Amino acid sequence: MSRGILYRRCAIALVASAMVVSAAAHHSTAEFDYTKQQTLKGTVKEVQWTNPHSYIQLLVPGKGKQPVEWAVEIGSPSINIAMGWKKNSVKAGDMVTMLISPARNGSPLGTLRTLTFADGRELKGIAGRARPVPPSPAKGK
Amino acid sequence: MRRSGLLLLAVFALQLSACGSKSSDAPAARTPDDLLGIWVPDAAPRELTADGAPPPLNEDAAAVHAKHKQRYAAGDAGYDPTTWCAGPGLPRILTMPYPFEIRRSGEHLAFIHGWYRWFRAVDLDGPEPQPQIPTTLGFPVGRFEGDTLVIRTVGLTDTTVLDASGLPHSDQLILTERLRVLPDGRLEDRMTFEDPDTFTRTWETVLTFHRDPAARVTDDVCPDRLAKGEPAERLPAKGGPDATAGPAPAKAATLSASTAPAMAPAPRLTGMWEAKTFGIFVPEAEAKFNTAGKELFDRNAAAMKSGHIMQTAWTSCRPGAVSTMTMSREAILALETPEEITILYEMPRMVRRIRMGAGHPKDLAPSYVGDSIGRWEGDTLVVDSIGFNGYAELGAGGQPTSPQLHTVERFTPAADGSYDIEVTITDPQYYSEPVKLKRGWKKKAARHPLEYDCMENPREEDYKSSYYVREQYRPVCMRVAGKGMELSKMVCELPKE
Repeated sequence: MSRGILYRRCAIALVASAMVVSAAAHHSTAEFDYTKQQTLKGTVKEVQWTNPHSYIQLLVPGKGKQPVEWAVEIGSPSINIAMGWKKNSVKAGDMVTMLISPARNGSPLGTLRTLTFADGRELKGIAGRARPVPPSPAKGK
Repeated sequence: MRRSGLLLLAVFALQLSACGSKSSDAPAARTPDDLLGIWVPDAAPRELTADGAPPPLNEDAAAVHAKHKQRYAAGDAGYDPTTWCAGPGLPRILTMPYPFEIRRSGEHLAFIHGWYRWFRAVDLDGPEPQPQIPTTLGFPVGRFEGDTLVIRTVGLTDTTVLDASGLPHSDQLILTERLRVLPDGRLEDRMTFEDPDTFTRTWETVLTFHRDPAARVTDDVCPDRLAKGEPAERLPAKGGPDATAGPAPAKAATLSASTAPAMAPAPRLTGMWEAKTFGIFVPEAEAKFNTAGKELFDRNAAAMKSGHIMQTAWTSCRPGAVSTMTMSREAILALETPEEITILYEMPRMVRRIRMGAGHPKDLAPSYVGDSIGRWEGDTLVVDSIGFNGYAELGAGGQPTSPQLHTVERFTPAADGSYDIEVTITDPQYYSEPVKLKRGWKKKAARHPLEYDCMENPREEDYKSSYYVREQYRPVCMRVAGKGMELSKMVCELPKE
């Protein structure tokens, strides 16, 4: 099975099941609201290129003096490599725009749909791959 | 490549039968197969040396090492991922007081480590690897020079340390190991470190290992030690590293002229595989719940629907063998000898050992991996497993299991060279009738499995909003976000007695 089909099946599964499990299949991602999208613009503070999930810590200017630190889940190293990322694709200090689906509990936490660099280059996140597709009676297997 | 592998096997078979014909008191000629079997470290050095002298660190790396030593002196060994059960890396894992076993089949030779299910698959017949992603144990390629196994490893991540003292390295490190059995019967691993980003010159160190008939390589689950308030790395008992006790291994292969490998059946499962399907949901199980099973499942489902992450044995990095039957991912490496089929799973990381033609022992200590025995019925491999500890869920929905769990896997070859697998799961504590699943393996072209280092990054955010299927799954170490511009750090809070 090609990766593409695999992810499509996973996307179908995401919609088909009330119990949402991320493509990384480590834990449920019921914490994120995939029906919502939010754009964050800021500076990368830290990249955690790690299992079971990788994260980008992003400093986003807020209303106060201090920027708000967002944690954005970006998948797992093996999945990201398959999606065209490299370990050093994103580095501390990079200015980026991130389209995310936020956490349901309102904390500064989200899962990446698309990351855009200042020069327009884009990287897709796993949530971007699992973009809603028409509901299907097929079960994820 | 496969043909050359078979040719090599035939050559070794001839060598072995030649050895077998010698009188027992004459020193047998060394063969590459002398490396196989269980080895116990002679010492578990905290600090590697270059022939007794400090390794030739450059100025920056020396500063990093000095900082690690200061942290250690202050009671903080958090520079070493081993302390929170993440991957030790190389050669750190060989400096730990745990036995390891070297097994070989087909084009792979595998180190099966006694610490937390790690294994290293050495490709004996492949091209120079082009790693896309660095891993803790890298991408080893081996070749025999006489009776010496030379392993060259590239693609090592810079997030590990070379030893417990925190000796740093970069991801440019090339580690070359020369392994041979010494005249006194010990195993020598002479290592050469080339890493211009860290060291001012190439340097060498030597680790040695011995045989111990009592040593066993058993299923080791590091987070269970942390949960009990014990250190991740059990320090050696008095008198040197103690071998992990465990059930006796399958009887060692003793080759007589009549059972030389040339006569043995051709390995069928040997090689790299991957799951045919991606199954993290197990709806088949949900239809078979009894009242107790349904009750537990509904409780888990309610917690998930309220927006919690559900932490199961899998997500808390201690999956049971049944998870490899229901929701295996990524690479699977099978090593096969007439006595044992060893299956090394990338995700969830696990070593399953299937003793062929054996029976289940009478007194079986319950474990995550259970006890697996196998037999061939024509072309079909039948694997029967019992002896589980009940700490495993069948799928991502948290379908429970108990120590009464009994599984039967039937691996049947398909016309396209893949295997269809029928799994029958019986557990009367939670299911009213057997759960039957269809899974499969197909050949994988990759020469090395990647790594699933489940304990690498346990983040506070994840675990704070979690629902724990069992209280034991609650993590001891978590990555805590740094305040302001401070970076995140790992903090372990051992449970108070």
